[in-house]
Amino acid sequence: MTTLARARFSQLVLPRLDEGYRLAHWLTGDATDAEDVMQEACLRAYRAIEGFAEGNARAWFLTIVRNTGYSWLQRHRPRAVVFAEDLAPEAQAALEAGGLLAEAPATPEAALIARDEAGRLARAVDALPVAFREALVLREYHGLSYREIAAVTGVPIGTVMSRLGRARQHLLARLAKDGR
Amino acid sequence: MIEDAMIDDDETLLLLGAYLDGELSAGEVLAMERRLAAEPGLRAAAERLRGLSDGLRETLARPPVPGTLRGRAIRQVGFADPPPGRGAWPKSWSGPWNASGTSAPWSGGPWPALAATLLLGVAGGATLGSGALRVDRPEAAGEAVLAGHLRGLAAPQPFDIASSDRHVVKPWFNGRTTVAPEAPDLADQGFPLVGGRIDIVAGAPVPTLVYRRDRHVISVTAVPAADGPGAGEERRDGSTIERWRLGDLTYWAVSDLNQHDLRAFVDLFRSRTGRPG
Repeated sequence: MTTLARARFSQLVLPRLDEGYRLAHWLTGDATDAEDVMQEACLRAYRAIEGFAEGNARAWFLTIVRNTGYSWLQRHRPRAVVFAEDLAPEAQAALEAGGLLAEAPATPEAALIARDEAGRLARAVDALPVAFREALVLREYHGLSYREIAAVTGVPIGTVMSRLGRARQHLLARLAKDGR
Repeated sequence: MIEDAMIDDDETLLLLGAYLDGELSAGEVLAMERRLAAEPGLRAAAERLRGLSDGLRETLARPPVPGTLRGRAIRQVGFADPPPGRGAWPKSWSGPWNASGTSAPWSGGPWPALAATLLLGVAGGATLGSGALRVDRPEAAGEAVLAGHLRGLAAPQPFDIASSDRHVVKPWFNGRTTVAPEAPDLADQGFPLVGGRIDIVAGAPVPTLVYRRDRHVISVTAVPAADGPGAGEERRDGSTIERWRLGDLTYWAVSDLNQHDLRAFVDLFRSRTGRPG
C-alpha cells in the first residue's frame, strides 16, 4: 500500500502544499497555527489518498485542509467559529452605512487599494467571520468556481454567492471608511 | 429574472458579483450587460468590485510559505525510498540537488532525487539526447509529460530558467535538448510566458515552456511526434492535458486550469504558431 500511497501523495498533495498553506493561514490568521493545520491535513490526506478517485485533486485537498482548519479552530478558538450568517454588529452597521451602492469615495477604489501598504485590506479580511473569509479566499486566491467552493465548504451554491457578496460589500465599506 | 422591476439592491449586488466571477448564464450575462450600459451607478459598483478583486488577489497571496513545510510533510508520511519509477526516468540519475537559489530544506535521503526532479541535473549535464528520438507510445509520453508538470509544481519554481522573453527562453534550450519548440508570446491574451525547463520523455530531454494564467501554471512540452493519434484531450490526477501536432512535433499542454480555459490557450497557441501551408 505505502508505495502507491506515497507516489500518489507526491503527485497529488505535494504540488498543492503552498495553496493549502495559504488557505490554512487565512483560516487561522497565524503562520504557526497554519503550519500545525497543514501538518495534520497532510496526514489526513495521506490516509485518505487511496480512496481518492479520479477527479478534482485540488478541491479534494483544499477540502481536507479546510476541514482540518475548522476542527483546529473548534479545539483552540471555539469562539471564532460563529454561526456563519452572523456578521458582528459593527460589521452590519458598516454595511448599512456604506454599502456598495452608496456614493463612491472620492478616490477610485483601485487606487485606494493600491495604497494599501499597511495591509489594511489584509486586516479587513482577517476581521471577516470565518465562513465569509474562506469563501473569499477560495474564490479570489484559489480561483475556484462557485460550484467547487460549495463542494469544499459543504453549503449550497446560493449560500456561496451570498457570502461572497456580503464579504465584498463589507470589505469595500470598511476600506472606504478607513480611507476617509 | 433580473429584468424584474422589484429587485432590491441586495439581489443586484449578488448578480453583479456573480457576473464578474463569470458565474452567470448566458441570458443573465446579456441582461446584466444591458443594465451596466444603462446605469452608471452600477458600472461604478462593478469598477469597485474589480479593484477589490485585484487588491485581494495580491493581498491573499502575500503570506510567505515557510520553507520547512515541504520537508515536514514528506517526513510525516515517512518517505524513505522513492516509489518505483514508471519507466519514464532512469533511476540512476540522482545528481545533487542544486537548483539555483532554492532554500527549500530537503529532508535528506533519497527523496530529493525523486521529488525535485532529476531534470535539473540533466539540464546541467545535457550529455544525452543526441540522435533522433521517437516516442512510440503516446500514453507513455503523456504520463511522462504529466509527471514533469507535477514535479515542476512540486519544486520551488516550475521552471529552470525564468524569463518572459521567448528570445531568451528558446536559445536556452540549445545544447540541452535537440528539440526546438515554438514559443509564441501570448501575454497580450493573459497567458504570459514565465520560463522554460527540461523534462524527460522516453528517456530523452525535451523542452517545456511554462506559461501562466492567473495562478495557474501551464506546461507546454514538445516531443518528437510518433505516428498515432493527433489532437486529443484528457483529464488525469486533476490535471487537464491537451495534445496536438505541429510539424514533426507533438505538443502537450498540461495544467490544472479548467478545460475551457486550457482549450482557449491551446487554440491561441496554435493560431500563433500555424505555418502557412
